[in-house]
Amino acid sequence: MNKYGTDKIISVYWFGILIIVAGGIFAMVYTFYHHPYDVRELEANIMINKIADCLSSEGKINLNILDDTEKFLLNNDNFLEICNVNFDVEKKWEDEPQYYVEINFYKPGDTDNPIFEISNGNKNLISSCIIQNEEYEKLARCVEKRFYSLTENNNQYLIKILSIIRKSEKNVK
Amino acid sequence: MTPQAYPEKYFSNIFTKGKRGNILVENIIFIILNLIFLVILILFLLKQGSGAIVLEQSYAKQISLLIDSSKPLMTLKLNMEEGKKLAEKNKVDFNEVVRIEDNIVVVKLSGKGGYEYSFFNDVDVTAYPDKEFYVFIINEKN
Repeated sequence: MNKYGTDKIISVYWFGILIIVAGGIFAMVYTFYHHPYDVRELEANIMINKIADCLSSEGKINLNILDDTEKFLLNNDNFLEICNVNFDVEKKWEDEPQYYVEINFYKPGDTDNPIFEISNGNKNLISSCIIQNEEYEKLARCVEKRFYSLTENNNQYLIKILSIIRKSEKNVK
Repeated sequence: MTPQAYPEKYFSNIFTKGKRGNILVENIIFIILNLIFLVILILFLLKQGSGAIVLEQSYAKQISLLIDSSKPLMTLKLNMEEGKKLAEKNKVDFNEVVRIEDNIVVVKLSGKGGYEYSFFNDVDVTAYPDKEFYVFIINEKN
């Protein structure tokens, strides 16, 4: 009689455990699949590569960026068009662009003071770059890369590109 | 053997038989319930992994990133076999699964609205299905 009663109690406990396990799995799966894929860092890297390709090819700065007399032909207004980039993509975010790009040209000896700089997009996003960790993932993602390039006269320039992508609503929950 | 002659032995036998039978039935029910639990759990996991919402988002973001990293005159081919199966299941025409509207990719695998994601590359994109693939032709914007 006791054994029979004990079996019953064990099976009740067993189903209790199953419910807890199922609840745990459900919670994990729900958290995993209802969390959007965050592709902003990839996107920012792609943007940097695209702009770097636009500025320089085979280690030389393109002539439509810097002419023979070393005069910069690029400015804040024409830079997006020259590089085939469009920041005005979603009507929803017309007043608040989700992108920001900043390009700085430095002489190799002085990497603190840029000799030429251009930028475009939403300047308010720059403040997000101060904090870049998982706790504040709702802030915009920032990626910065730098490379050296030569002019036609073999003068060297250090080029820094900062790319910022917000799109938090689509990439973070 | 009658109950009147050996009452104790008679009832004891019946009780033993009944007890054994109860234990067997109980075990079978217990195993069946466990199996049902496992099947429900596996079905739930499979459904979540291949759900329209997850796939729509995954395809839309993949296509946007592919377009962002492409250059004019490129042709991109994306395997969307899983998406095609789901679209057919949800009675959505595979020709209408991917739409490119200006700089926005829209992927729709169910009767609901679909998922959209934007790309910054200022190019002209034409998308069409080819068997289980989707082909994207990248051209310069006029």
